[in-house]
Amino acid sequence: MAELATTARPYARAAFASAGAASQLVEWGTFLGRAAALVQDPQVVPLIGNPRVPPPALVDFLLELATAGKASAPQATQQRNFLQLLADNRRLRLLPEIAAQFEMLRAEAERVADVDVVSAQELTGEQSKKLQAVLERRLGLAVRLHPQVDKSLVGGAIVRYRDFVVDGSLRGRIERLGAAMSGA
Amino acid sequence: MSIKPSEISDLIKQRIERFQSAAEARNIGIVVSVTDGICRIHGLADVRYGEMIEFPGSLFGLALNLEQDSVGAVVLGDYKSIKEGDTVKTTGRILEVPVGPELLGRVVDGLGAPIDGKGPLNAKATSPIERVAPGVIYRKSVSQPVQTGYKALDAMVPIGRGQRELIIGDRQTGKTALAIDTIINQKSSGIKCIYVAIGQKQSSIANVVRKLEEHGAMTHTIVVAASASTPPSLQYLSAYAGVTMGEYFMDIGEDALIIYDDLSKQAVAYRQIALLLRRPPGREAFPGDVFYLHSRLLERSARVNEEYVEQASKGRVKGRTGSLTGLPIIETQAGDVTAFVPTNVISITDGQIFLESDLFNAGIRPAMNAGISVSRVGGAAQTDIIKRLGGGIRLSLAQYRELAAFSQFASDLDDATRRQLERGQRVTEVMKQRQYAPMSVAEMALSIYAVNNGYMDKVDRKKVVEFETALQNFARASHRAALDAINAEPTLKKHEAALKKICDDFQSTGAY
Repeated sequence: MAELATTARPYARAAFASAGAASQLVEWGTFLGRAAALVQDPQVVPLIGNPRVPPPALVDFLLELATAGKASAPQATQQRNFLQLLADNRRLRLLPEIAAQFEMLRAEAERVADVDVVSAQELTGEQSKKLQAVLERRLGLAVRLHPQVDKSLVGGAIVRYRDFVVDGSLRGRIERLGAAMSGA
Repeated sequence: MSIKPSEISDLIKQRIERFQSAAEARNIGIVVSVTDGICRIHGLADVRYGEMIEFPGSLFGLALNLEQDSVGAVVLGDYKSIKEGDTVKTTGRILEVPVGPELLGRVVDGLGAPIDGKGPLNAKATSPIERVAPGVIYRKSVSQPVQTGYKALDAMVPIGRGQRELIIGDRQTGKTALAIDTIINQKSSGIKCIYVAIGQKQSSIANVVRKLEEHGAMTHTIVVAASASTPPSLQYLSAYAGVTMGEYFMDIGEDALIIYDDLSKQAVAYRQIALLLRRPPGREAFPGDVFYLHSRLLERSARVNEEYVEQASKGRVKGRTGSLTGLPIIETQAGDVTAFVPTNVISITDGQIFLESDLFNAGIRPAMNAGISVSRVGGAAQTDIIKRLGGGIRLSLAQYRELAAFSQFASDLDDATRRQLERGQRVTEVMKQRQYAPMSVAEMALSIYAVNNGYMDKVDRKKVVEFETALQNFARASHRAALDAINAEPTLKKHEAALKKICDDFQSTGAY
């Protein structure tokens, strides 16, 4: 996992720079997202690295699907080259990691933070507004909330932005109380 | 250990009072792989080098490798419960161990937790295990002795408070025995001792503790035990835990002595960690920073001045110097002192005591090779009487060694040569000493005086040890006051006549 991230980084950076130069971050984002979903598709997986599928054909096939038929769009040449490069280096399987890193770079450039919020009950409109305001102040970025509900938290919520986690759930507090009582 | 129900509720109350339930902001990561006590973790973007990290189930680790996409950490404890995908949290703390006088008499593990079944430590303070050694401004030169109780050592390779003296030798040459006797001899000196057992058999550690208890030496001793069965991370850290406990005494203006038994095994444990962390191996497969591993540890042994003690104790202790004497032990393989770790530690320390199997098997115990054992700073700390008498010993032994090899080829020797040979043989005999029989300064002075001034020249070589014992018994029985006077003020000038009188009196009894 960590190794995948290392190998994927230069590709993600290159794609981001290329997309940024052509101011087509959104298009590239959807393209990479689709391509990532494709290479994970059970029907596509056996084709990758299959000696009976010539790489150019595979690239054409992926490009066709990833660009949703708009293979004649101006950015398509670059996208084809990108896929070709990955195929040549046998790194098509890195696409999910590349897409994830691309999104991270894009969020950084747009100064947006994607924050996961896991709560015991669904957040009310007022709650999420309040949470968003607090997080925006704390992170110094515009915040996009991605709420989830997990009943096993009992109460409260867990807020997560990348590696930064604030555990305000009742379950976490009970666990910490347990640890404190056992003297650890 | 039994607790009353009321105590339990008190305990719970305390715990609840201390419990902070506020939501905690932390950095998290996910375990990617676990290999032999080493975890690779994805995430933990804000972790710092050497920070403690928390695994599920109150298990802690130490972040040692910070790479672009992963963090390499050692697990401090049983790593078998950690699974791939477990969540890891940062704690924002660095590793600390309990310190203080409460630890004296206890056996603790590499993290300072008691393992002797005598209940909790109740230590009032903790201290981080990695600390920068006192700077040059705060140091004082070594000027007070640490009496090992061994004639051979105190006369020829004296150790001063704050010095670092290496004990080096093959297996089974009496390295540990030397260290243990030194601890036993500190009963009345006020020096607090820390014995760090690294990578030893549990049975050996139990033996050492029992011996220390038998000789009443546990009351001033802390044993830090990281046996061969503990994870390498703890074996590596135990040396730093030990020195931290020793620094506590140095910081409050007391004298302490720390024994690392042994640093070869600590280096091996560190090598294992480093290789599993995929750090590039160097000479003998040790990582590049194995010199720093030992140098930063041994630099923390020091003699510090009054100002340092005043600052470190926050003004509570004034006008006192503190010291931490280090006695690292290195085990060589077949006498090879040119291996990587031995050369490193020899170059770091202020001298070394070489113990040799040949001497040990020839019955010379302590099996010290007087020719290559040195103490670079201890001379300044030696008591006057031993310093003056010890010079003769060194000279006799040096001349003896030179002649002994040469005389094997000569059939008849001139008188002067023979006298030197015989004197050398007798000095060698006098330097022998049993284990667990440390001597006071006066007793040492008496033995050395007797051999230097020819009182043993007429005694058969095989009877020298016997003669010495009889002399000591005689002195203890009939010249107790003179011995006490020497111990109170150990100068040769004042007591030479007394020593002469004891020897003459003994000779006149005609026993030998």
